[in-house]
Amino acid sequence: MGTLAPQPGDLVVALAQIATCPGQLRHNLARHLAAVEDARAAGAHLVVFPELSLSGYLLAHGVLEHALRLDDPRLDPLLNASRDVALLVGLPLREPHGGVSNAAVLLEGGEVRGVHRKLYLPTYGMFDEGRYFVPGPRLAPIACALGRFGILICEDAWHLSSAVILAHAGVDALLVLAGGPTELDGGGEPAGSRRWHWIMGATAVTTVSPVFFANRCGWEEGVLFGGRSWAVDGRGTSLAAPAPALDEALVVAPLSLAAVARTRTLIPIPVAERFDLWRAALGGQDA
Amino acid sequence: MRELPSLDTALLGETLRRFLAEELRASGLAGYVVGLSGGVDSAVAAALAAAAVGAQNVLALALPGPTSSAESLRDARAVAAALGLKVEVVDLAGPAEALAETLGARGDQVRFGNMMARLRMVTLFDRARTVPALVLGTSNKSEILLGYSTLFGDAAASVQPLGDVWKTHVFALGRLLGVPETVVAKPPTADLWPGQTDAGELGFDYPAVDPLLYWHHEGGLGREALLAAGFPPALVDAALAAYRRNRFKWRPTVVARVSASCINVDRILPRNPER
Repeated sequence: MGTLAPQPGDLVVALAQIATCPGQLRHNLARHLAAVEDARAAGAHLVVFPELSLSGYLLAHGVLEHALRLDDPRLDPLLNASRDVALLVGLPLREPHGGVSNAAVLLEGGEVRGVHRKLYLPTYGMFDEGRYFVPGPRLAPIACALGRFGILICEDAWHLSSAVILAHAGVDALLVLAGGPTELDGGGEPAGSRRWHWIMGATAVTTVSPVFFANRCGWEEGVLFGGRSWAVDGRGTSLAAPAPALDEALVVAPLSLAAVARTRTLIPIPVAERFDLWRAALGGQDA
Repeated sequence: MRELPSLDTALLGETLRRFLAEELRASGLAGYVVGLSGGVDSAVAAALAAAAVGAQNVLALALPGPTSSAESLRDARAVAAALGLKVEVVDLAGPAEALAETLGARGDQVRFGNMMARLRMVTLFDRARTVPALVLGTSNKSEILLGYSTLFGDAAASVQPLGDVWKTHVFALGRLLGVPETVVAKPPTADLWPGQTDAGELGFDYPAVDPLLYWHHEGGLGREALLAAGFPPALVDAALAAYRRNRFKWRPTVVARVSASCINVDRILPRNPER
């Protein structure tokens, strides 16, 4: 599989694969700002961070202490940094009437442009998110000056319908923030990272949408995260080489809005989605 | 017969190396202290720690007791030399004899063995305080599942890099990490009394039991399915009995919950504070 070189007029998307620490916001913020510096130097227009990048993933009841409101002054350094490069960061968002969302916040021009709240909170196996977070109420593209994006957080992307709904609604790209724990097996890369690439590739090709996958790496509380952040276009061509599994890295990939539109015109799979079949399948069933 | 799935040993070693580096960084302490028994588990744990934080930041202690074999001390020194570790020998024979006398534990092999394991724990944590360091655990998944350890003795540690690693894979890591072959190849022993071996006490060895444990613990096969898969009945019954009997060691302390903020039940928080 080849890799596409950036062309004049392309947007440049950077995937900041960082190793965050649970509840260590100052440490994590420093990792963000360092990655933003590197991304700026690489000419990035947008930097995508992993899930809960600011707080760390295995916060558990630490959400009580570390959840932020959008006007929290701890976000100021990131808002300032977003004046010349858009940022998509993950954080536990304190909701006005109680509850905390696992959120992705799009910052641009020093302002919050949009928020996606994680829809699917895995609560099985090693996951316990349903205990600490409330699920997001809606799924819709989020627009900023750069384009219209479908944002998914980790488990959201394991429900293929999420990407189908977003692609049908019309997006320039899918941005996936992940905190993917992994185990090891006989393969040369972590098993979880391998699964992620299957999902990301299938999502990109079946929705005919470029997918930008920012995963975290490193250890938290004895849990290993699998990295391998990657960008792939709607035909399955790598937009950049995947990051390594274990190291922090910055993946820099091009995004051509013109190429996305052309490909989707030639291969209009998302607009052909038969939602009437979904309705029929759900007919007579309770929501 | 079903086998233990293979593992990429190099990737396993590299991830565990990084785990030890991160745990030390997050703790804010200066290094690791490890008790070298002369066996493969402590050798592999020490090799990973040395690779993670530098051999100069890993203090190895050899902790012989009154019944320890001379071979164990010799092998512990060989491991330290191979890994470039400073090794201190703390002779626990005197304290062990004195405490056994006080407790009246002389002549009871198991009581004396458990006491030795706990004296080593006391020594390791005391020395760790002076560095200051984390105590490096050396327990592997096979022995944890079987409960083949002394509670608050060899099972006590700050971190357990091998706690989710089958003994079969610990052997493979040992060979990968340059642990002396004599240490990898010798029969595993807790060396708590003369002639003791893991296989002698358990009734089976790790290459035989690891696949069975895997298919029971991870694969969900019960006794009948294990027998149908071809595992010998005596092995199945002995392993499953240990697996059931010693499960209390997986979670050594139970706290009586009488509030809505019981630690680790109602309030689960990251181990390390923000610094």
